Amino acid sequence: MGFKESVEETPNLGGKWMVGLDALRAQDKVRIDPESTSTAHLRGSVDIDTAWLALDPQGNRWDFAIGYKHQNRSDEFIYWVETHTGADDQIAVMFRKLDWLKTWLSGAGRKLAEFDRLFVWVPSGATSFRQGSDQVRKLADKGIKYSGSKFRIPLNHKKSKP
Amino acid sequence: MKIPPRQPRFKVENFGPIQHADITFGNLTVFVGPQATGKSILLQLLKLLEDTPYIKKEFSLAGVDWSGKFTDFLDVYFGEGMHSVWSNRTSIEKNGSKIELPDLVEGKRSNRQESMFFIPAQRVLALRDGWPSAFNYYDASTPFTLREFSEHLRLLMSDFGAEGTLFPVPRRLKAEFRDLLQAHIFPGFDLKIESQHAQKRLVLTSTQEGGGSLPVAVWSAGQREFVPLLLGLYWLMVPTKAPRRKGLDWAVIEELEMGLHPRAIAIVMLMVFELMARGYRVCISTHSPQVLDAVWALQRLRDHGATPTDLLGVFDVEPTQGMLELAGKVMKRQVKVYYFDRKGGTTRDISKLDPNAGEQSESGWGGLAEFSGRANDAVARAVANSNP
Repeated sequence: MGFKESVEETPNLGGKWMVGLDALRAQDKVRIDPESTSTAHLRGSVDIDTAWLALDPQGNRWDFAIGYKHQNRSDEFIYWVETHTGADDQIAVMFRKLDWLKTWLSGAGRKLAEFDRLFVWVPSGATSFRQGSDQVRKLADKGIKYSGSKFRIPLNHKKSKP
Repeated sequence: MKIPPRQPRFKVENFGPIQHADITFGNLTVFVGPQATGKSILLQLLKLLEDTPYIKKEFSLAGVDWSGKFTDFLDVYFGEGMHSVWSNRTSIEKNGSKIELPDLVEGKRSNRQESMFFIPAQRVLALRDGWPSAFNYYDASTPFTLREFSEHLRLLMSDFGAEGTLFPVPRRLKAEFRDLLQAHIFPGFDLKIESQHAQKRLVLTSTQEGGGSLPVAVWSAGQREFVPLLLGLYWLMVPTKAPRRKGLDWAVIEELEMGLHPRAIAIVMLMVFELMARGYRVCISTHSPQVLDAVWALQRLRDHGATPTDLLGVFDVEPTQGMLELAGKVMKRQVKVYYFDRKGGTTRDISKLDPNAGEQSESGWGGLAEFSGRANDAVARAVANSNP
């Protein structure tokens, strides 16, 4: 089952799958830079945050999921993207969001948990985090990749899967 | 209208591994990049362009004669076999004017004062026998910058007498620097001149009663690397009211971090700031991300209206009056950072050190943060997929 079908079969996400990056807000869309935007590679997106707003208004909801079929992998891959202020005091907030997402993936979102994935924090606005900094290392240790102000999705994944 | 300070600019093409370099120097200029990308030979070329008559005079006094052969001159200046860095396609521009290096070398002037002091990466060799050797001690295969550095240290020794103390010395360096160095590089030791069998040598002597003397051979790697650097800094920071040694405008330090713990690197960076504050135009090459941390912090703090106290906080030093004045001066100075890219043999201006730059050479700080970045990425991927 591919990304689109898995989204459609996930509770509260039925009908929420969108082509390309169309599930992202305009201001977030410009922060994502897929090397190939062909539908053969960019397999669509879904806005988790909005879909779960009414059901869990106080939750630290995650923003988006983007499905991608890398050229060197046979399976589809999910980039779980959160666009959020890139500041020290937001690291704890991001951890809470990740907890929310993982809890959701182990329950209602389990169809989407079957994909290999990367959790990505794309900073909105200015940030002073840099590669190799303590902050970025702390995030990596929890499984979050901190991207630059633009997150590039490469055509070939670093880890190929036959 | 106030005229902005002149920023020297050098353009070099087809020189050794460098295909195209375009460098505008700040008050501090930092070169980063992989090994053998031309950082050191570019700094040596800069020295040659700034001090050609002086260099010729030094060679002349030492009896070095290249008989008008430019390639032989390149070998004695850059070191044996290095004439190959030059080709008929090499071109050099200084401040917009083309320089014909062979003509410059053949010129008649040969008695000017030195304007650039060069602390080479091989500085530890200057003290290999426990005492700095004279220029002539080295054979013609040794680069000029090392021979000259060693000669300067030899001359410097005469300031300290037959059995003198080199560190700590009251009028050398700010008291704050002396305290930091004593705590982090020479804990429990003084650096002294000692005579043994009529031969002078440098030793570290224990400050404890009955403590012995340690010759160079048993110093820690960091101490062996740091002492020639310290002596080079002594040369630049004269113990008079003059901020700079007469005639010297430039200070070059190659790989200042060699052998040093991060705490000691931080102190050396503060001493680099001291050189800037004294009005030297400083150039350093480095493989240490910590050096770029310091530069990044300096620039960001200045851009965001932070205070000298904030800058000193980065170095974990007390905001004494002297250090606050130093930090205040440095925060007004300009810093440039260049990445030497092996691919294409070019230089890139990465002075902003923007962690969000789309250009990997800038966001990855010329490769110095790339390893950490890859480690973070790999760990983030593994963690994300191991615990559904």
